Amino acid sequence: MELIYFQLLAAILFCIGIYGVLARRSAVLILMSIELMLNAVNINLIGYAAFSSFGSAHRNLGQVLVIFIITIAAAELALAMAIILRLYRNKNNVNVDELDILKG
Amino acid sequence: MILSAEFAWIIPGLAVIAFCITSLFGKNLPYKGIFLPIAAALLGFIFFCLIFVDFISTGFNPTSVSIDWIVIDNWSITWGFAIDEISILMLGLVTFISLLVQIYSVGYMSGDSRISWYFAVHALFAGAMLALVLADNLLFLYFCWELVGLGSYLLIGFWFEKKAASEAAKKAFITTRLGDVGLLIGIILLFKATGTFHIPSIIHAAQNGAIPESTLMWSSLLLFLGAMGKSAQFPFHVWLPDAMEGPTPVSALIHAATMVVAGVYLIARMLPLLEIVPGFLTLVATVGLFTFLFAGIIALVMTDIKKVLAYSTISHLGLMVLTLGAGGLAAAMFHLVVHGFSKALLFLGAGSVMHGMNGETDCWKMGGLRRNMSVTGVTFLVGCLSLAGIVPLSGFFSKDEMLLSIHEGLGPIFLFITLAGVFLSSLYMIRLFCVIFIGEPRSEGAKNSHESPRVMTYPLVILAVFGTVLGVLALPLPLGDFEGLGNFIDSKHHFHLSPWITPLSLLIALSGLVIGYMCYGYHKISHHLVALRFGYLYKLTVSKFYIDEIYQWIIDKIVLSAARFISIFDRVVVNDTGVDGIGVSVLLSAFKVRLIQTGKLYNYAAAMGIGIFFMAVMWILASN
Repeated sequence: MELIYFQLLAAILFCIGIYGVLARRSAVLILMSIELMLNAVNINLIGYAAFSSFGSAHRNLGQVLVIFIITIAAAELALAMAIILRLYRNKNNVNVDELDILKG
Repeated sequence: MILSAEFAWIIPGLAVIAFCITSLFGKNLPYKGIFLPIAAALLGFIFFCLIFVDFISTGFNPTSVSIDWIVIDNWSITWGFAIDEISILMLGLVTFISLLVQIYSVGYMSGDSRISWYFAVHALFAGAMLALVLADNLLFLYFCWELVGLGSYLLIGFWFEKKAASEAAKKAFITTRLGDVGLLIGIILLFKATGTFHIPSIIHAAQNGAIPESTLMWSSLLLFLGAMGKSAQFPFHVWLPDAMEGPTPVSALIHAATMVVAGVYLIARMLPLLEIVPGFLTLVATVGLFTFLFAGIIALVMTDIKKVLAYSTISHLGLMVLTLGAGGLAAAMFHLVVHGFSKALLFLGAGSVMHGMNGETDCWKMGGLRRNMSVTGVTFLVGCLSLAGIVPLSGFFSKDEMLLSIHEGLGPIFLFITLAGVFLSSLYMIRLFCVIFIGEPRSEGAKNSHESPRVMTYPLVILAVFGTVLGVLALPLPLGDFEGLGNFIDSKHHFHLSPWITPLSLLIALSGLVIGYMCYGYHKISHHLVALRFGYLYKLTVSKFYIDEIYQWIIDKIVLSAARFISIFDRVVVNDTGVDGIGVSVLLSAFKVRLIQTGKLYNYAAAMGIGIFFMAVMWILASN
């Protein structure tokens, strides 16, 4: 195992996430794509924590950071899902193409 | 208690206080508050007497008192009052005339709904003039100068419901303003050259050659321009006849004591400065002489009683300016006082006539008024004869001194032309008197005319008495070292009579009187035939040499077209392009820029992604 595989996996995951955010029309799927991007970052962090030449204190730091991100992502997901639910109640629709009331 | 000259500032101060109280609370005070300005004028006159006694007893010491207004480092602008011979003379004239005019106004203006405002502005007007003659620096003088202009504007336009009155007020204000701008620039030029507004310091600097010659010439010219505007010298004379639209006592005040004499006073005050510029006094004298004759000729054919007096005032102001141009400071100031008394008398008399005729001003509708209005008639005659320069009246003495000064200062050519003006002066004066008071009544109004109340006739009598005896002051009286008023004003001046000028001028004035009486009183000469014989000249004179029409043409064709061009420039370039242009361009670009706000989520996400990508690229490039 080498660091490069982790980085490649993270990059692929991140690109899939970006593609999902840009190409999907459903708000729920966009949210899931954002989760993919977050997890890409997590994998990256874990990879660096495992393979870098830092001391053990710094390695632990990377894992702690990942746990933090997972926690915050959960909170963020709850908030975003709540917004999407309200949107669905009001507009009966979560297609972001049709949700353009902020159009200038 | 003798009030010393340091307290002279109280006199205008009182008038200003009276103005404030009466204008603000006049309606709620008993008698509409008109007693306050009168009390201020009376107190002012009493203070003048006290200061005058003190001034004489301390041996004519010019005193001045000043307070700092703006202080920057060791340099300051002051408000200062100075008492010297000229200003104390003016002080006496203004306080006395304004007191009498105010008393007279009680009768003349009774029943007017805005009487308290009238008296308040009257006080302001007199106070501004008093401060003007006391001012010892040009900046303060200029403030008062403008305040006098404001007072005249308010009083001429007092009956502003009449279109003619409000027009006349505007005309007076704008015409004098043309001169005032000149005065202001002249003052600034002098200040720039000397660093002070203090009049004696400026004159001192000029005499020591501290002011460059070109600056001196321009500032003299501009100061004279201001004086010409205020003193209604040709070609700025047009406002004065129109100013007759104001109440008649106002005309008396404007023509006698305030406003128009301010210009003469300014020239007298700055005479040492004007003398330094070579040939400048000849210019002053020429303007004065031309105005003297020009206005005298017009006065000869006017039919409105107040217009005749107005042109007579212009004419006599011209005579004063002419005398100042001849260097006759004492004679001109003496005539200023004498003319002030006589003209106040004549205007108040004219007001009395109008009062008795229910506001009629056309003197061809009068005639024979001496039967019904004897006091007015006699006092009017005194005023006329005084201005005509008939022997024991004061006008004789002042005119004589002026002719002497003109002869000494400018030579015989100016003297002989001036004598022609003297003839005109006595001719139009006697014409006015004959047409109004002699002969048969020419209208119902004239038959039923009535004498004015005593509050109006008493000031007339007082003025007539003063107009008669004031001339004696010209003589060296056995009072201490008093050598005549001329010597009092200007110590270089000595009273003397010329063996040929005095009889000649008297003869000319008398011949004017006789011809005038033959023509208008005794009807031996028909003035209608004269008018027919010189038809074109007559028409030209009656239309006042078309000066007003020429100005109207200039305003219509030149000033207004220029104004129209400027207004188009303003609308198209300044407004549409300059001001609106900025707003419109912001609006248009906003219409373009708002399109980037698509509302599509993936557009924002793409922008974020691209932005992060470029930031990353830049970061990598920068770190290498």
